[in-house]
Amino acid sequence: MDNASEYVIEMLHITKEFPGIRANDDITLQLRRGEIHALLGENGAGKSTLMSVLFGLYQPEEGVIKKDGREVKINNPNDATALHIGMVHQHFKLIDVFTVLDNIILGAEDTRLGFLQKKEARKKVQELSDRYGLRVDLDAKVEDITVGMQQRVEILKMLYRDNEILIFDEPTAVLTPQEIEELMQIMRGLTKEGKSILFISHKLNEIMEVSDRVTVLRKGKYVGTVNTAETTKEELSRMMVGRPVQLVVDKTPAVPGEPVLKIEHFTVPSQLHKNDAVKDVTFTVRAGEIVCIAGIDGNGQTEFVHALTGLEKASAGKVTLCGHDITGASIRQRSEDGMSHIPEDRHKHGLVLDYTLEQNLVLQKYYEPRFQSHGFIKFEAVRSYAEKLIEQFDVRSGQGPVTVARSMSGGNQQKAIVARELDRDLPLIVAVQPTRGLDVGAIEYIHSQLVAQRDAGKAVLLVSLELEEVMNLSDRILVMYEGEIVGEFDPKSVTVEELGLYMAGAKRQDRKEE
Amino acid sequence: MKEKKEPFLRRNGARSVLASLISILIGLLAGGVVILIVGLATPSLGLRSAWDGIRLAFFGILSTGRDALGRLTFGFNPVNIGNMLFRATPVILTGLSVAMANKTGLFNIGASGQYLAGTCATLFIALSIPSETVPPFVIWLLAFLGGMLAGALWGSIPGLLKALLNINEVIACIMTNWIAANVVTWLFDVSNLKNLTESTKSGYIYKTTFNNVATAKLGLDRLFPGSQVNGGILVAILLAVAVYIVMSRTTFGYELKACGANRHAARYAGIRDKRNIVLSMAMAGALAGAGGSLYYLAGNTEFFWNTYQSLPAAGFNGIAVALLAVNNPLAVIFTGCFMSMLNIAGLQIKNLTGYNEYITDVIIAVIVYLAAFSLIIKLWLGGRKKKAAPAARTVTPDKADEGKEAQK
Repeated sequence: MDNASEYVIEMLHITKEFPGIRANDDITLQLRRGEIHALLGENGAGKSTLMSVLFGLYQPEEGVIKKDGREVKINNPNDATALHIGMVHQHFKLIDVFTVLDNIILGAEDTRLGFLQKKEARKKVQELSDRYGLRVDLDAKVEDITVGMQQRVEILKMLYRDNEILIFDEPTAVLTPQEIEELMQIMRGLTKEGKSILFISHKLNEIMEVSDRVTVLRKGKYVGTVNTAETTKEELSRMMVGRPVQLVVDKTPAVPGEPVLKIEHFTVPSQLHKNDAVKDVTFTVRAGEIVCIAGIDGNGQTEFVHALTGLEKASAGKVTLCGHDITGASIRQRSEDGMSHIPEDRHKHGLVLDYTLEQNLVLQKYYEPRFQSHGFIKFEAVRSYAEKLIEQFDVRSGQGPVTVARSMSGGNQQKAIVARELDRDLPLIVAVQPTRGLDVGAIEYIHSQLVAQRDAGKAVLLVSLELEEVMNLSDRILVMYEGEIVGEFDPKSVTVEELGLYMAGAKRQDRKEE
Repeated sequence: MKEKKEPFLRRNGARSVLASLISILIGLLAGGVVILIVGLATPSLGLRSAWDGIRLAFFGILSTGRDALGRLTFGFNPVNIGNMLFRATPVILTGLSVAMANKTGLFNIGASGQYLAGTCATLFIALSIPSETVPPFVIWLLAFLGGMLAGALWGSIPGLLKALLNINEVIACIMTNWIAANVVTWLFDVSNLKNLTESTKSGYIYKTTFNNVATAKLGLDRLFPGSQVNGGILVAILLAVAVYIVMSRTTFGYELKACGANRHAARYAGIRDKRNIVLSMAMAGALAGAGGSLYYLAGNTEFFWNTYQSLPAAGFNGIAVALLAVNNPLAVIFTGCFMSMLNIAGLQIKNLTGYNEYITDVIIAVIVYLAAFSLIIKLWLGGRKKKAAPAARTVTPDKADEGKEAQK
């Protein structure tokens, strides 16, 4: 090997433009043989675009790609495959009803006289699986195996094609903590065997743990490449966001005031089974405090929020908001009585994706006199209101108020929803997983906004699955397990381990009702 | 960055219009090729007839017959244009019906049934109220509104099924189409309207003029003398403008479109999604019903009824009209006129050449087929734009920077 091939892949001065946005602006990425190289950036920083360029899905306007020091042209994914570049996508590309083996060989089958030669394929896959510790059941159908195993199938697919350069696009987003740990082991094993890995992520902990070097992108621009051993989480987040980032929420003790939301003996039937999803829940949220419902996913939080906000019906109990009984009220009535709602699923409930940003920003307000007269929309008023919110909440998009919501990045979509809900200035904010899938900069921003709302005397009911967020943000923690509140805690006097025991149902308190 | 003038091809509307025009042009050219092949293959026609046929296919609306030497002559032909407007009226309305439903996320394939419901209600009202005691204009108005109402009721059935039971509106629409065909057959069978009509050899013919009810000409007959045109086309245009305004300018349209684009988000925002789905279908039905109503109120049309009523083609042509118009209510006026223009061209081909008039059905079929492709053509136009854009950028780097500043 000559010394030109210290780098197995080099992307030099890549520039890629889309209408209204320069997604990649003079970006350089050099991947050494046998390293794990993390690509770090906020949502919309240009990571996916850069990988699509490497994979031949987009053609860059400027810049060159070199493989082993020689310039190559990648016009389509087949070219990338021929150069032994493989990718595990964030959303797996597997056929559910095929077996694991069939999925691995699909598209690269050996045939003799038109007949599949699975025997040799099986031998090869088995060998690879043993060598890299990728435990899979070759004869199981993909629909029957866990997400973690599906990911191992994707990795085997790349190895089966003798790929040298492996791209992992946000691989941990769908995994449990144990599966993440296992994946890290696998990645280290792969590099020992001479594979080179590009690891796309915005989770700092994982990058610190597994990568050798990190390249940081910000708003489509190249910020720098650093050795992981010589940097810190704080340094990386500063590079990524462009300013020092508060990784811990800065807040003063809460000063709870009058009760805003009172929930008594609230019961919600399940859509999935005969039992109740939420059972006899009673609690109060006061003005000026953040109350958090913690719990493992699927313990009735979604049903609880849907019934509280009027999307579903409760079967028993009473809800009082600012003195009004809203138990059976319509969604609009709840909204007018003072409830704003940052929904869990921003694509299903939060946005009309085919509407423009400005249309989405007035989703609950379009009928108010300031936005309409005699049923006709005042377009000027909508536009100037949208411009105000976009400015105030720093919502970034290609074409400002007239950007179609679907074309915005996830983080900015969420920012738009948060902007819309907080600007309504209502006494109660129900925020469900408000930072899911967001990067540190956006998380910090949304957390600080929620704290600001609390300090302005709003009642905040937060529902979150992330313990770090729960511990960081809340003034009071309620743990929900199988539809019941099994414990109430002060975040300052409880440990994560203790909470975990309640969340798993191993312990429960006898709570005296308020 | 307000209202910066964008290059022509980058404007969404311009691309839609261009895509539809390309569909139409390819359709006409394909029709021309068919005419040519048929002409060359038929000894009695030959190249000369084929050339006449092609010219008529493109410009039949302007045909004024043949001169003394037997050559085709072209010019302003008020009869053709008047007839075109007359025939456009029902397809504009069914096109509006489909386009409006599409805008709210519903595929109204039931325009035929709603059209039939409108036809039936209109004829019953127009023929049953005695014109000796009630002024004909009042009967006309009642018959028209009755037709719209019947269409609305018929359209709201699939709407209700969708809203309350989550049954796909396409299936419900197809079923209500055939139910309408059978119900209308039965209603005419048991009605005493039979006594009012001339009984012909195999069925009954109903005309609203039996009862002196007909749409006013509103002076259009003086503009296009000798044609069948009447005020109905103006009603259709008014309705198209009204639909456009409602859908694009009002909070009601905002709600309807929100429900269509994302029912869950609309619900989350406190919009009554179920009510809006029913209203969308009812309004679409009312428009299709108005189409049937205006066609038979014209005074020069006959509703031919015998033992079995089939589905009217106007309903299905509405789908093509809406597709070609990319669901824009104003564009529906033009695509509706275009479809009826082809119809007129077909008559000219039949009258002036040895060709069968059904050759235009081939052209219409190709255009409808391509209308479904107009989205692809639009994307293709968009793709060209993308490649052209970077070049434009490098010429004006200042502007690109401006854009980036604006984003920050």
